Amino acid sequence: MPYLIVHEDKCIGCRTCEMVCSLSHEGVVNPDLSRIHVLGYKGEKFPIMCLQCEDAPCELVCPMEAIHMQGGIRIVDDEKCIRCKMCTLVCPIGGVLYDYINHQMIRCDLCGGDPQCVKYCPMNVIELVPDDAVPEARKRGVRILYGEAD
Amino acid sequence: MVMFGYTGKILFVDLGSKTLRTEPTEKYAKDFLGGRGIATRILYENPDALVFMTGPLTSFVPSGSRMDVVAVSPVTGLIGGSSTGGEFPSALKFAGYDGIVITGKSEKPVYLRIENGEVSIESAEELWGLNVFDTIEALTHGHPDLRVACIGRAGENGVKFAGISFSHRNLASRGGLGTVMGAKKLKAILVHGTEGTKPYNPVELMSVFEEIQESIISSGEFLRFKDWHVNFIPTILKLRMPYFGDYEREWEKAEEAAMKAREWFEEHTVGRASCFSCPLRCWGLVKYDGETLPINLCQGTFPAATFTLKTEDPELAWRIYRKCQSEGLDMMSTVAVVAYASRLGLVELGTEEVLEMIEKIVTRQGEGDILAEGIKRASEHFGVPAVYVKGGMESWSSDVRPFVGSALISAVADSGSVNRALYGFPEFYYYIKKEQAEMMATRFVGDVEAAYPWSYSESKVRFAVLWENLHIIADSLGVCVIALLTTPLKLWAKAYEAVTGEKITEQELMTVAERTRTLERLFTLKHGDRKDDLSPRLFRDEPKLDREKLEGMKRVYYSLRGWDENGVPKPETIEKLGLGDLV
Repeated sequence: MPYLIVHEDKCIGCRTCEMVCSLSHEGVVNPDLSRIHVLGYKGEKFPIMCLQCEDAPCELVCPMEAIHMQGGIRIVDDEKCIRCKMCTLVCPIGGVLYDYINHQMIRCDLCGGDPQCVKYCPMNVIELVPDDAVPEARKRGVRILYGEAD
Repeated sequence: MVMFGYTGKILFVDLGSKTLRTEPTEKYAKDFLGGRGIATRILYENPDALVFMTGPLTSFVPSGSRMDVVAVSPVTGLIGGSSTGGEFPSALKFAGYDGIVITGKSEKPVYLRIENGEVSIESAEELWGLNVFDTIEALTHGHPDLRVACIGRAGENGVKFAGISFSHRNLASRGGLGTVMGAKKLKAILVHGTEGTKPYNPVELMSVFEEIQESIISSGEFLRFKDWHVNFIPTILKLRMPYFGDYEREWEKAEEAAMKAREWFEEHTVGRASCFSCPLRCWGLVKYDGETLPINLCQGTFPAATFTLKTEDPELAWRIYRKCQSEGLDMMSTVAVVAYASRLGLVELGTEEVLEMIEKIVTRQGEGDILAEGIKRASEHFGVPAVYVKGGMESWSSDVRPFVGSALISAVADSGSVNRALYGFPEFYYYIKKEQAEMMATRFVGDVEAAYPWSYSESKVRFAVLWENLHIIADSLGVCVIALLTTPLKLWAKAYEAVTGEKITEQELMTVAERTRTLERLFTLKHGDRKDDLSPRLFRDEPKLDREKLEGMKRVYYSLRGWDENGVPKPETIEKLGLGDLV
């Protein structure tokens, strides 16, 4: 199963990922509706989003069984969802959020396989990798950092 | 009517009567776009106002992070204009406002709280007396998503070159805007916005976004900013001919100081950062003494502390930078004033005394009280001549004489110094990138001579006018001028269309710039006079600048702007630009 990994040391905190995420999903620019969030504290900034957990707490806690994997992407079945927001409470990294404008649960859906944050990040901080290739990708990220790879 | 791109509302706050109202942005958007254009237009009828204005592209495009701030400058009596990036401008739009117009003054210290359309005026008694960093901490404690614009002690105490700070980083610094805010007893504006902004065509916007981003990333700026900090200080020695102390030509330690600064930044830089939406990462994060602070190495920050204040020790230069940032001082003016004070024997440059002198200026003790009035008034008081540009504003941290274009613009500008018109003007980098400067001159005005720093040619004037227009367009669209200049104007026009649903041509953008520029001049004529269209006094009396030729350039400038030989806009120009109703 592929998921997004973050080379956090390359992030410049510009939040372009948040802009294009909300633009492509909701047609507006609104970082608060973005499924990816740049967290920052005193200059250390990097984006986080749903990491497609194996034993996902959100899926386990959902009283309506509305959350499930579909083609390697965990999605919320809007029909079944009752907006109890339990999933937002149990997610350890705040990867699920409630869209308070359109009143629905939203989360990273990998844009159906072509994540826009990956495409638009000017520093190539975010990468979509198959789970068995993650260690390799992390190593490559470090090599890029030290100018040993492109 | 729903406006796309704009939020559609400008917030008007009268601090005297504590009343709030809104006006539709639509009223001004067509003729003035936003940002600097609309702000100038509003100020024209409300000279008491302090205006913060975002542009239609703010929050939508790469580097669309800007907001323009204007008010009547307490230094020059003319328009004081400056702009800021960072997070605040887009946050203001996310909260539902395109701009804020502050009129009147409060009796007691207050701050303005804006949360998604909910606006309140709160007491700031407990914040008064705090510096910028402490004010931000007090207002945002535990809520890093809150955005703050505030003044430090310099603005409170009416120091004439206080700016308005946005986070620890951005500063609308020039022209004394923080002084205006302080006089209104407005300590801060706190913004929290989660409503988002709506473009007309999101799909088209995504595609233009990509084009613009690629254009910025393939620019020389993007490449250069990667190690900007480390390389900039030695570069500026070759590039701009900074002066040392109070306009001395030589400083035997200049090279050494530059190399030391370079090493210091290599050692202390811990990362890079950008403003909202921008790929350029022109901010460096510097860790010193356990504290990480951002710095943008422009000529008026660390280099000014190093060269103008003859500071050999980078640690001291850093502490001077930090002091100016924390008090909310315009650094370019501060270093000019302190250097002038050194000529009077009040302070020894390159020593701790500089920090003490800045403290004296901020708190207005002793001679600091007079120096806080700005360099022009100080020179009148002490009877020792000083260098200043139009209206009495401190000059920027370079000698303008070897750069004739900047001498011209510093003479004719109406809303601040050359920063508002000539960032990245090719004559500045002619000495290190000759071919590129010549190529730009040929491309834009068809004459290679326009790139020569020493040239008084007619093409140089055309080039300067064009450059000034591009700045006004950037400041009005809400786009950072650095990014705007890397990317063809037609792409920004395309973005404007995707965002607002309104077509606009490059020519129409230029017309908005002409209109805004002429309105700035009309404001000057209404509230000040024009006989100050001169470059810095000390400079003019030296043979380095040919006065007659410069006068000739001014005449060309006026005619290009459609003004008469005295710099007064002609009736037909006013009519053509649709400003007739205002005059």
